[in-house]
Formats: sequence, structure tokens, C-alpha cells
Amino acid sequence: MPSELHCFQASSAGIIDAVQAFDAFGRGHGLAREIISATQIALDEILSNTVKSNPASAARGSEEQTTISVSFAVTTGVLEVVIRDKGRPFDPLARPDPDTKAPLEDRPVGGLGIYLVKNLMDGVEYQRVDGENMLRMTKRIDH
Amino acid sequence: MSPLGRVDSNTSGDFERALMTREGEALLVIDLSGIDYISSAGLRVFLMLAKKMKGSGRRLVLCALAPSVEQVFTLAGFTALFTVKPSIDEALGRVSS
Repeated sequence: MPSELHCFQASSAGIIDAVQAFDAFGRGHGLAREIISATQIALDEILSNTVKSNPASAARGSEEQTTISVSFAVTTGVLEVVIRDKGRPFDPLARPDPDTKAPLEDRPVGGLGIYLVKNLMDGVEYQRVDGENMLRMTKRIDH
Repeated sequence: MSPLGRVDSNTSGDFERALMTREGEALLVIDLSGIDYISSAGLRVFLMLAKKMKGSGRRLVLCALAPSVEQVFTLAGFTALFTVKPSIDEALGRVSS
């Protein structure tokens, strides 16, 4: 199974690196432009949440605590992206979906990121495993 | 205005600052043909801009959305909140009529 494992800093610079690394992986595996864009948005959303949810560890933690590991893999017809961090337990999927039908006046600013991830990817699941947050995203890539 | 690139967690701050210099206009047309993709950080900037402009009776028109940008706007329900035109010509044509 073609796969790559990367480690990134839990910072805005690390998010840029991750999004660019996925772009290279996606192009290298001949993924369609729309699959690459959708997955880059999902990566940006999840990593932004991870960085925001662990401000203390990002500022004072050990290098291990401030690193996010991301793996990309392509199997038959499926792209899989797994994101792991050693921050405090945090399930980003637990938040209720926003009301996307509400008029402008009633729209809260924010809260759309995870909703986008759930809709751009075909599968998203969270688990706390061995002291790590693990988020697994899958997307069908058959043309 | 015609921004270029991505509007994501990294660039949304710059984008917001650029928009703030224009938000006093009675009408603002934003050509999005140069935007590859937009994340929720970018949606947040657009939503704040729309609220401010509507609150003071000014108009905002978006045009020429790339497929991935249009997909995100549709998912977020933003196509109902914004005036979206297929091209800059149609955006400006509507304006002058």
C-alpha cells in the first residue's frame, strides 16, 4: 500500500507544511484536483482545531507534545489520512452541526470547519488510542 | 477586488485586513476566479463582511467561483446568503442595471 508518514509542528507553519505535503502526495499518486483540494481543506480544518485545542502544550510542552503526525495512504479506490497528536483528549466530531439554512442575521461566525470535513470526506472517525488523539479520514478516489 | 491563492487558516488574516480597506464601499464586487480553495477560516471572513455590509445597507457581489470554492459555499449554505454570479461581467452587468 503506498503510504507516507510525516511529522509537523503544531503551529500555523506546520499546517502549511502538511497541506503542501499532501499536495505533493496527491499529485504523485495521480489524484484528481478536486480530491486534493477537498482533502487539503479537511487537513487544514483538523490541524487548525488541534493547534487551537492545545494552546498550553503548544507554548510550554515538550517537542513530542507539540508534534502532529500525519499519514497519507492510497489503497484500492480509497485515500486514507490519519492524524495523531498527544494533546489533551479532544473529539472534534462531538460538536453539533451548525444550521446551514439559517439567515445571515442568525448565522454565528465560526463553527463550520468540522461540518465541512464531515461533508468533504466520505468517512471521519475519532478515537483516543494509547494517550493519543487519532482522527481517521477516508475518501473514495475511484474515477 | 481579485484575490489570488488560498483562503485558509494561514492566509485568512491577510485577506481580512485587505477587505477591511474596502468595506466602506457602497458596492464591493469580489472576483474569486483566482482562489483555488477556501476553508472555514475564509468562510468566517466572508460571513463577517456580509454581516457588516448588510447592516449598513451596502452591497456585496461574489463572482467566478472555482469548483472547490463553490462546493464549500454550497455545503455551508452560503449560496443563499450571498449574491453569486458566474462571471465578473455578469456581476458588473447586474450592478449597472
